[in-house]
Amino acid sequence: MNISEKNINSYTILSLQGILNASSAPQLKTYIAGLPDAQSIVVDLENVEFLDSSGLGALVGIARRKKTSNAVIKLARMNERVKKVFEITQAYTLFDIYDDVSAAAEA
Amino acid sequence: MIFHLDNSTSQPVGIVILKKRIDASNSSELQKAFAHWLQQTNRLVFDCTELDFIDSSGLGAIVSCLRKTLEHHGDLKLAGLGPKVAMVFELTKAKKLFSIFSDSSEAIQSFSVVDPK
Amino acid sequence: MKTLIVIKKQEYEWLLDLFPGVHPLLLPICNKPFIEFFVDFSIFTGSNAIRIVSDGPLRDVERYCENGSRWGVEISYGSMLPADELHSVIDKNRRFCQEERVVIISGFLFIHYDKKSDYASLFASLPSGELFSCGRGSISLTGTPVVETNTTTGASPFSLTALDSVGKYYRLSMDILKNGLTRYVLPGYSSESDCYIGRNVVIPKSAEIKKPVIIGNNVQILSNSVIDKNSVIGSNVIIDRESVISGSIVMDNTYIGEHLEVKDKIAAGNLLIDPESGTTIVMEDPHLLTSMAQSKVAGTLLRRVVHALAATLLIILQFLPWFLLRPILGIQGNWKRDKGQYHTGLPGKAFTMTKTTIGNNGPLCAIAKALSLDRFPLLFRVLSGKLLLIGSQPVLINPATRVIPNSMSGYRPGVFSYAEAEDWPEIGIDTEIVEHYYAVHGNPLKDIAMTQKALFNRTH
Repeated sequence: MNISEKNINSYTILSLQGILNASSAPQLKTYIAGLPDAQSIVVDLENVEFLDSSGLGALVGIARRKKTSNAVIKLARMNERVKKVFEITQAYTLFDIYDDVSAAAEA
Repeated sequence: MIFHLDNSTSQPVGIVILKKRIDASNSSELQKAFAHWLQQTNRLVFDCTELDFIDSSGLGAIVSCLRKTLEHHGDLKLAGLGPKVAMVFELTKAKKLFSIFSDSSEAIQSFSVVDPK
Repeated sequence: MKTLIVIKKQEYEWLLDLFPGVHPLLLPICNKPFIEFFVDFSIFTGSNAIRIVSDGPLRDVERYCENGSRWGVEISYGSMLPADELHSVIDKNRRFCQEERVVIISGFLFIHYDKKSDYASLFASLPSGELFSCGRGSISLTGTPVVETNTTTGASPFSLTALDSVGKYYRLSMDILKNGLTRYVLPGYSSESDCYIGRNVVIPKSAEIKKPVIIGNNVQILSNSVIDKNSVIGSNVIIDRESVISGSIVMDNTYIGEHLEVKDKIAAGNLLIDPESGTTIVMEDPHLLTSMAQSKVAGTLLRRVVHALAATLLIILQFLPWFLLRPILGIQGNWKRDKGQYHTGLPGKAFTMTKTTIGNNGPLCAIAKALSLDRFPLLFRVLSGKLLLIGSQPVLINPATRVIPNSMSGYRPGVFSYAEAEDWPEIGIDTEIVEHYYAVHGNPLKDIAMTQKALFNRTH
């Protein structure tokens, strides 16, 4: 999985590309652990080809950690495959989900 | 099921207080007890204020109680039907068979107005 | 033009208790799913794309509407959080809302429209902002009018009703049936006015049907029954002999027994509802009212067999260590048992289960834990079919803990849980997420692998 980073406003935008599953979830966790705890982030999911429960677990874990340090994690540009996983698991109840990266980085 | 005789009118009226639910588990019990009550008086009231639920066997038991009372030239009246029990009586058209009153004292009064056959 | 439909779970929650298993957006109003009225209206306003946004599940709605090609529009779906206000919902859907004007319908509303009115040019000429509201919801518009017109709208060609009680739902259905049949597009075959009949409807000569009436598909009306005026009969319905239905709504998959009189009521499966008082009774007699929903036994049977076989294997493996360690741990006081009432997969049904916890003292406890001996007694419940080998974390019946909502059909308690296998935090909603995932993605073979993972994870 590729992670690319850019900054918009006060947000760090992480664009993921590839497969987010048990083997790549630790990579995302370490990457985010490298950022300051209080840094709010937007995760751009448009190019995530596959997401399983471990990948989702990583995102949920990050959301929990950000919440305790009063930072925010937002998700943006979910494709249909990713959306399906969020829908069946009802994980959408935990995240602010945007269809546009710049809108997510504004509020 | 609690039974007592009300002597406030010229002839005694048997009041039966039905509680919680009448269903397959206790409907035959009701029918058995009813035979005894009927020997004491042929004017009876089922007070349903505390009755929450009735199923078809319970309904069948009450209808057979009515039938027996009519055979003894008396009447069985119902009082204080809650909304849920009333719905079952409506659905099954059993409502049309009974004289129904809002509470038991009204039902007792009604016996002295028009004498049963 | 595009349409954004924003519906919060809170607005329709009352319906989940009343008609479990039916997504409120798919609730039939005169046999037409509620969402289709939205879709029709959106199309009348000239929209070519519709997005449905909710903080609740939309899976069933998506399964029904798909991508909208059936209606020639593009339908997409979005999520929001319960606390979101309308402007943040618009932010969250910025890409959708860009470029074109957007009609925003917010609230669990019924829009009384008339298919003969020209909404497309009306909406094109209206200024932006809130157009109509009814307290519980509103219709608003973004962007600038394409054509400036100097006309004031005058009498608005539609009105809104917030659906917030079963009485409103009933009155709305009756109003459409009596006065609105020509305003809406309704399903069924209509050879004469005020009468819509679906496919495969069997009506014997002795039965009587009076207008106005709407009857769905696959309906059997038996001899001497009467469908009196103002009735809506859903699909897959049987009305048995000599029963009378009048002024009532009979929902899909309902059986009405013989010699009954259903007057001014809603019958849904084994529920009978008085819409005016809101009184609901659950019929326990299958010969009066029954739900005719099909059960899905075949899929679960294979799962059960595989789970039972695997449980047997585990019993054999664990028996010796359990036999040796159990008495010692018992004497040491390290084998604690807690009896409790747990939810089964069926609504309202409970079962008793004794949960074992092993203490933290000494090497024997460590060995017993590593071998998951605390689960050994539960394995027998798999053989009797009460538990799955791996499934949801059994939920104690206790109002203080997480409640099993009606919609959570995926809950099936197991000896081991998916959350344990996945190393997920075993609390509240997080556990539910992984359980939902496997309710869809699980299969018997995967379950075996997950059980191994759970056994392995629990030692660490």
